[in-house]
Amino acid sequence: MRPSYFINFMMGIYIFIFFAYLFGPLIIMSITAFNSAEFPSITPWECFSFRWFNEGKIAYDGQHLAGLLSDWRLHDGIISSLIIGAGVVTLSVPIGMAAAIVLTQVRSQLRDIYYSISIMPVLFPGVIIGISTVVLWDRIAGLGGEGFIADIGRNGIFLTILAQTCFISTYCFLIFVARLQRFDQTQEEAALDLGASQTQVFFKILVPYLSPAIASAAVIAFLFSFENYNTTVFSILSDQTLTTVIASKVRLGISPALSALALTIIALTIIAAVTYEVLRRRAEKRYTESQEKFVKEKAADNRINKKYKVGFKIPKGITAILLIVVFATYGATQIVKNDLYGQSCIDAADKEKKSKFLEQLQTLESNELTDEELSGGSLGGNQDYGDIFGDPSLFQDFGGFD
Amino acid sequence: MNNFLFTQPFFKKNGKAVAIYFLVAIIFWFVFLVIIPQFYMLDLSFRTNVPPLARGGPEDYYTFEHYSHFIFGSKTATDAFNFVDLGVFGRTIFVSMLVTIANLLFCYPIAFYIAKIANPSTARLLIVSLIIPFWINELLRSFALRILFANEGVINNFLTGVGLLDQGILFITYDIGLYTGLIYAYILLMMFPLYNAIESLDINQIEAAKDLGSSSFRTHWRIVIPHAKPGIVSGCTMVFMLTVGALATPVVLSSPNTLWFPQLIYQWFNMNDNWSRGSAYSIILLIVSVIFVLTMMRIFKVRIGEIIK
Repeated sequence: MRPSYFINFMMGIYIFIFFAYLFGPLIIMSITAFNSAEFPSITPWECFSFRWFNEGKIAYDGQHLAGLLSDWRLHDGIISSLIIGAGVVTLSVPIGMAAAIVLTQVRSQLRDIYYSISIMPVLFPGVIIGISTVVLWDRIAGLGGEGFIADIGRNGIFLTILAQTCFISTYCFLIFVARLQRFDQTQEEAALDLGASQTQVFFKILVPYLSPAIASAAVIAFLFSFENYNTTVFSILSDQTLTTVIASKVRLGISPALSALALTIIALTIIAAVTYEVLRRRAEKRYTESQEKFVKEKAADNRINKKYKVGFKIPKGITAILLIVVFATYGATQIVKNDLYGQSCIDAADKEKKSKFLEQLQTLESNELTDEELSGGSLGGNQDYGDIFGDPSLFQDFGGFD
Repeated sequence: MNNFLFTQPFFKKNGKAVAIYFLVAIIFWFVFLVIIPQFYMLDLSFRTNVPPLARGGPEDYYTFEHYSHFIFGSKTATDAFNFVDLGVFGRTIFVSMLVTIANLLFCYPIAFYIAKIANPSTARLLIVSLIIPFWINELLRSFALRILFANEGVINNFLTGVGLLDQGILFITYDIGLYTGLIYAYILLMMFPLYNAIESLDINQIEAAKDLGSSSFRTHWRIVIPHAKPGIVSGCTMVFMLTVGALATPVVLSSPNTLWFPQLIYQWFNMNDNWSRGSAYSIILLIVSVIFVLTMMRIFKVRIGEIIK
């Protein structure tokens, strides 16, 4: 199929817009992490700084804005997210594996029903899974008096592990089902014929065959658990995970520390993705090389073995890296030239803000003391306050208290 | 029992220890994690909202109170219907449908391009770059949009700075940010089923249609789309379900004046401490989801196994 050049061109533009939509917000957010201003923005660029990755800042009006390193609530959240992730992996991978293996043994009449029940949890909205778990365990805890069960039934981390396992098991199940479809049953039969017991067959044949699926199911389970919000926010009760901490932060007002956190997560994701891709390509290359070797050995004449001259080719990746380097050096020189980096810049910006703040305070005070206004004359104070209370957009950006 | 449920005798096939592990794992999952909590929530949604100590007492009885509250409002209200909650509900469903359709329209050209036109290395690059944003937390992705759309945000600052506008547009107040965010949040769950479905189409069919003089639009309408039907249904179902049940994106991006239906559930549950009513509203959400899936399956004649792969 060869579309005309015009259509190709339009398609190129469309793809560019689409990917700009996917990546643009993330890139802009990453840039705002380096701006020292309190509000994540680009255009009033204050100073280039790493403060949001480190200790944050104390604003001119005394408000403390925590950075990544100094935010203990975030650290607690990450720790409980990790615990929950580990718990979910240990529960949902075995469950998914068992359910997938049993699927191959269920009678064909029952298979559809069995399959439907297994994938049902993914189709439930996440909030419902969270609510139903909490409701049930609250009842169980209420029945048990003051003992161990009551403690466990009101433990947010335990409930979150159960609630997340409910639907993450399904993802594991699907991974195992996909792998089992390519399983060669004769291997089992051969082992049985050679005198292995059923248990041995399971541990020596099936589990090794499924081990790649076990690994990927564990990774998927952990990632889904780590970034889940809809279920967790109900089942976590009074504890906090990373996602609930982020949500409560966003609700109180947006801060560049969140941009810094997001950039850290993005960097980790990209590194993981690149490593995975490199490893996969290496394995693939090794495989094709062994295949080629096999073909060459078998080839009767020398035609295939002839070496072809390979022209020099610039890999696409290099161009991208070069572009990034050029832009980065350009940005860095600009920043240094305009004295936008380092303590001096930050101090200057802070001083300016402080003086503005003091000025405002003074105007407020002087307004208060004007006799004419106190005596109930013309209440012309509105202009002096900059009409902040008349500004309709003042509270509209505020996320509300929900 | 063995012959009724399984093709071979279960314990003999797997060995005793492994068979017990299978049974325990599956029963634990199906019964304790999936079925009992849902039934208990259903039960609670028909009960009065009483403090834990009064449970089982005379004030704890079965009632339709919560469902009738959803439709008719509280008993003291003057309106005939509960316009606030019904409005939130209707708006959630309507917007979710629009979001689903928008996702389908946006994704189809890209999926077709990656599956059939691009050469393999470009296709792989595009797929990897599609996956990367998907691994970033939904909340943080919404936060990225929030930076763009806030009243003092990047877009408004840019527009006013350039001089196109005197005053910023209130993206958050008018929920433009929310709709953009909802489309953004689940677009990849539309992309991959579509891509997989189109990818399995034999390119010779398209060539044949071309050779027989079919226009490009007609080829898509008569060949590609019918072939991709399971993928389309699967993508639409996933996107609709996730959008209707979304909580993270509305928490970050919705304006304070409007609510998304799961936010309403959250309010009843956590702010007003009325678990029964929260459960009732959850059941309503669940029913809508189930009806949607069944309708999609009925209309497009696909099985549930084809929806989720």
